[in-house]
Amino acid sequence: MRELAFTGLIALAFGIGGRYATGHFGWFNAVNLALGGSALLGAALLALRRMGRARAPAFRGVLLRSFGRLGLALLGAVLLERGAALTHLQWDWTFERKYELAEATRGVLQDLCHRIDALLYFDNFDPRIRSTRMLLRTMAGTGCLHFETRRIDDHPEDEDRYGIGSSNTVVVRLRGASGPERWERVERPTEGTLYEALYRLRHRQEGLLWVARGAGEGDLERTGASGYSGLAAALRTEGYKLHQFVSAALTEIPEEVDAVLWIDPERPLRPTALQALERYLEAGGRLVVLLEPGHQTGLETLLARWGLESPDDVVIDPASGPVEEDAPGVDPLVYRYDTRHPLARGLDENRMTFFRGTRGFRLRKPEVGDQIRGIAFASPRSWLTPDVGVLERREAPKPPPDAQRGYHPVVAAGEYRRAKQRKTRIVAFGDSDLASNHFLRTLYNLDLVLNAVHWAADREPAITLRPKSGVSGAMQFPLPLQNTLSAFQSLGLLLPELLLLAGALVWARRRSS
Amino acid sequence: MTALRALIRKELQVLFGSPMAYVALTLIGLVTGLIFFDHLRIYNQILFLYASTTMGGFETDTIPDYINLRDTVFFPVMETLGVTLIGLVPLVTMRVFAEERSRGTDELLLSTSLSPGQIVAGKFGVTWLFVLIMMMASFVYPALAIRQGGIGLEHLAAVFIGLTLHAAGLATIGLACSAFTSSQLVAAVAAWAVGFVLWDFSWLNPLVNEGTAKVLDALSMHPRYGAFAEGIVSLSNLAYFVGLGWVSAAVARFSFDWRRVAG
Repeated sequence: MRELAFTGLIALAFGIGGRYATGHFGWFNAVNLALGGSALLGAALLALRRMGRARAPAFRGVLLRSFGRLGLALLGAVLLERGAALTHLQWDWTFERKYELAEATRGVLQDLCHRIDALLYFDNFDPRIRSTRMLLRTMAGTGCLHFETRRIDDHPEDEDRYGIGSSNTVVVRLRGASGPERWERVERPTEGTLYEALYRLRHRQEGLLWVARGAGEGDLERTGASGYSGLAAALRTEGYKLHQFVSAALTEIPEEVDAVLWIDPERPLRPTALQALERYLEAGGRLVVLLEPGHQTGLETLLARWGLESPDDVVIDPASGPVEEDAPGVDPLVYRYDTRHPLARGLDENRMTFFRGTRGFRLRKPEVGDQIRGIAFASPRSWLTPDVGVLERREAPKPPPDAQRGYHPVVAAGEYRRAKQRKTRIVAFGDSDLASNHFLRTLYNLDLVLNAVHWAADREPAITLRPKSGVSGAMQFPLPLQNTLSAFQSLGLLLPELLLLAGALVWARRRSS
Repeated sequence: MTALRALIRKELQVLFGSPMAYVALTLIGLVTGLIFFDHLRIYNQILFLYASTTMGGFETDTIPDYINLRDTVFFPVMETLGVTLIGLVPLVTMRVFAEERSRGTDELLLSTSLSPGQIVAGKFGVTWLFVLIMMMASFVYPALAIRQGGIGLEHLAAVFIGLTLHAAGLATIGLACSAFTSSQLVAAVAAWAVGFVLWDFSWLNPLVNEGTAKVLDALSMHPRYGAFAEGIVSLSNLAYFVGLGWVSAAVARFSFDWRRVAG
């Protein structure tokens, strides 16, 4: 009986092992599995026959109790595991908490609940699959998403259907009650990229944004580091229809426009354009404007009339270190927010935003009832300098003796009751680089900018903190072989050596005794 | 209690008085070291290739995301270590019951005031202690990778818990196999085979329906162990290993009655 069981187990192990080693299920595996299964069955039958010898009542009692205990242990183990699984209790101990779903991801999963599934395509031996599978499993834990894994080679038809080009690709599908299936392909699956795919599948056209161009404004089509194509894509993902207009030709902004986005015009704007904007705002319009130190365009004067005065100064924040080639202090790392304002919901000291050379704001109420608030602030050590040239130099600027230090606002927002139908809303940023392709996904910049647009466009429920789509590059550096070799030769080899010495001593002592 | 204490003391003396335990500890330390350094060498070579001037250097984002310490060194080391333990742990557990049986000392043990349950508990406890020490010895390099790679202390703790639970789970299987035979070789090979079969059932997924695949997935050790390596500590995975220990102890306990009845 033992021999049969022994043979069966070995055959089973080789059958399965062969499948692991080659990645294919062939005749060798099938024969081994069949042999192993038959041998184990035979062993079980022999065991039962042997048990039949235990006819004596005393033996029967012992056996019954013994089987009972075994059954109880099995049942207890299953119940314990199933009970624990039902609690869905798990702790994410990863450094970046990468398996704790963001509020935004949970929200979009809820919206699409039971209508979506995800297919993870993989090749054998791709180490990234582990993380992706875990992430999808965490998403599936919400009860709203079903996912399955598919080996690319086993599903050649899907390669054409979904354009699968490489391993570790996820296809998120939306099952519609009517109409064709809709799907999104995610080639670098992280929570952030999956969230964006889900958001696109939800497809809500909820706002019309007018975006200015023609006076040196930030270019929504440009894909380089200084372009704003990333912002355009993010705005479209969040349901905005973008309409670009040439500011020089602007004479009127229709009331149905949800908000106007004006990104750092470099040349002075025509008075007709500014007047059109002023009329739009008076009628309850919404404006999001991103300024830049050193540019005088006329928007500053308009903003000052609405209580958001922005002199042509640069905020110097000694609490922030040098970034790239810039002088220390000219690129504030912002960690102070007015969290009572809906626009800054969720941001806190640990959720910083990065500004690359920014103006500050002085706030005043133009009329009783207007609400003017600073949203994001440089550190209390910050001060203002009218010398815009500090942005070009590399040495740290020195504060004058009369420098006024304090929390200088770098983002400000105002809400005004000018029209009967709706309130006017303005959000002004002292910097535009934070929304450029280079810095949009740095820290929480994307959230601050998108939430500003949502607040201005009166879409406050859409304000959220989005999961990060980037992959941490912190571990993409060489572990110096020289250092690790010396560690191996000291600590690494010392431990086994000591253990082996101890073993040799024990053996010698035993022999001598 | 005195008898149980005596049994535990005797087990400890046998275990640490035998060179086999030290050889196993040395082996696990060396094997982990070699696996770790081999992966590190490959990782550094790949990085060097990508960082070379012909590929554009570090600054141009040419290095794929998956070439990083975690995915290229740490996880493969843990994965290989997990499989290696299936082969190594039975070497430690094979003698625990089988040796007693081959020498006939199990009869003596049963004639003491100890119940079979207490005997199983004592032997399991001592083996788990040894497994814990073994894991500490094998953890030097993964810990080095984690610290150098900036994965964090909490993650380190999760991995250690997972690694220890995986080894303890394999030890319980080994002990259950050892309890059914008087041959140490049979015990070791049976434990190796059962451990290997239980490791991962995902290969069966294309052949079975979704419900069965879920059940098989829940039975597999690999996804449970992998979750800890990823930094996820879940109650169901902890419960799985506790349950595995419980069932294996019950099987070992069953062997005493089986022997009385079936001979």
